[in-house]
Amino acid sequence: MLQAGFGSLASYLAAHVLLCLVPAFFIAGAMTALIPKETITHYLGKDAPKWLSYPMAAIGGFVLAVCSCTILPLFAGIYKKGAGLGPAITFLFVGPAINILAVTYTGVAIGMDIATARVVLSIVFGIGIGLVMALLFARDDQAHNEDTVNGRMFAGQARVKPAIVAFMLLLLALLIVGTLGIGLFTNAYAAVALPVPGTDQLQATLDSLIPYDATLGQEGVSVQGLLLIVMLALIAVTAWLGLNHIDEGFNVWSWIALAFAALTLLIAAVRMASGPDSLMVYFTGRFWGELLVIFAIVWVAWKKLEPHEVQEWLWETWRFVKQIFPLLIVGVFAAGVARVIIPPTLVETIAGQNTLLANVVGVVFGVFMYFPTLVEVPIANMFLDLGMHRGPLLAYLMADPELSIQSILVTAKVIGKTKTWVYVGLVALCSTLAGLIFGWFVG
Amino acid sequence: MDIKILGMGCPKCKRLEQITREVTTEMGIDATFTKVTDIDDIMAYEIAATPGLVVDGQVLSSGRLPSKAEIESLLSGALG
Repeated sequence: MLQAGFGSLASYLAAHVLLCLVPAFFIAGAMTALIPKETITHYLGKDAPKWLSYPMAAIGGFVLAVCSCTILPLFAGIYKKGAGLGPAITFLFVGPAINILAVTYTGVAIGMDIATARVVLSIVFGIGIGLVMALLFARDDQAHNEDTVNGRMFAGQARVKPAIVAFMLLLLALLIVGTLGIGLFTNAYAAVALPVPGTDQLQATLDSLIPYDATLGQEGVSVQGLLLIVMLALIAVTAWLGLNHIDEGFNVWSWIALAFAALTLLIAAVRMASGPDSLMVYFTGRFWGELLVIFAIVWVAWKKLEPHEVQEWLWETWRFVKQIFPLLIVGVFAAGVARVIIPPTLVETIAGQNTLLANVVGVVFGVFMYFPTLVEVPIANMFLDLGMHRGPLLAYLMADPELSIQSILVTAKVIGKTKTWVYVGLVALCSTLAGLIFGWFVG
Repeated sequence: MDIKILGMGCPKCKRLEQITREVTTEMGIDATFTKVTDIDDIMAYEIAATPGLVVDGQVLSSGRLPSKAEIESLLSGALG
């Protein structure tokens, strides 16, 4: 049972997952630190036309809202001082639904089909739910609209520096180069045989410690995987020393931690084969691509960004890592253990087919079981392995991040209990629908 | 000096309070600190995002964590 837990951890910290998660955390940090809220909120004022405010609210949800501490105040502001209930609700819904970390992780760990569905359907339903609520509560909205003036938050004009746009695109490139499965990246363009003896024996030991069943899609721990786990531990220590107070300045550990992060990506990008006398390292296209992008990122950060921008970026990135990663490890381990405890027949009977009941169960589970950010992904994968159909799975994935006790309480404070209950109902309805549609589509 | 930190308890708000307290101690400023965590009260200050730094009723910074040096200059500005 413990082996199942560790095995689960091993596949979730595997090379291809890290190539997605590491850049995603840096992107999340950049979004929070470098994009001024005013760029989006400017388009959400009272006089903004609907065709502008709803899409901007959706975009805002994606770009601005990586943690609930940002979403809730912005939601309150848009509602009270701006375009009103509709766009505010769209923002509230889209934010947690297409959180960059969760979406990329879903893509790499479960499948791009579910990740894409999550994004597309969240935007569609986000705008839909916003419009519906605006319609249902039109009279309230009108009255409240008349006695507010356009708050200062909507008057500000903020442009995003071209350097920052370039920087964000480079971070995105890091993510794409790391995860795109095309020949250019997977082919090897150079190889080196490191004269390290006994790596095949090491691999055999690892396989016996953590057995895996390839038919079940498990990956086990490879020598490369072991190296990566060591790197992660090193990063944890050096980042704690070097990034905790990065807002005050860099110290020796900050540089080391960043170097280790880059090294981890590069190690994850090569292909390794263990043998009796040597370890073959294949330098894939992905490796060269990542190397190039890393250099570009460092150059832009050094030459084109202000020191305090770089520091804020790193502080936010590390903040997310501290907040999310430990819980993720626990969650993945627990999911691995639960995977072997829960009888598959139970899951198959309830949610094996794309029925209405299955989707409703998915939603109910998502609403009542609160999991920290990102943990819903390994839990979903566990259900998938146990036989849940992809439709109800999507229903679960959409409902889970939306509704936690804390966010419901604060939402109720801002828009009142009645509207909140309507919102919760609509979220449940749309998640069920999304699951049904997707499930039917995927077959 | 009346200092209010606007925020609902996230790491940035805590750090803002921590640094601002350090600055007031180092600069020898006599300040009373209040943490504003209620969403309605926070919104009354018209900021786009938390954390917010309010000194003697004026919003000096919002939506980001200013550097210690920046907080020092903001507070000296508020003094003089």
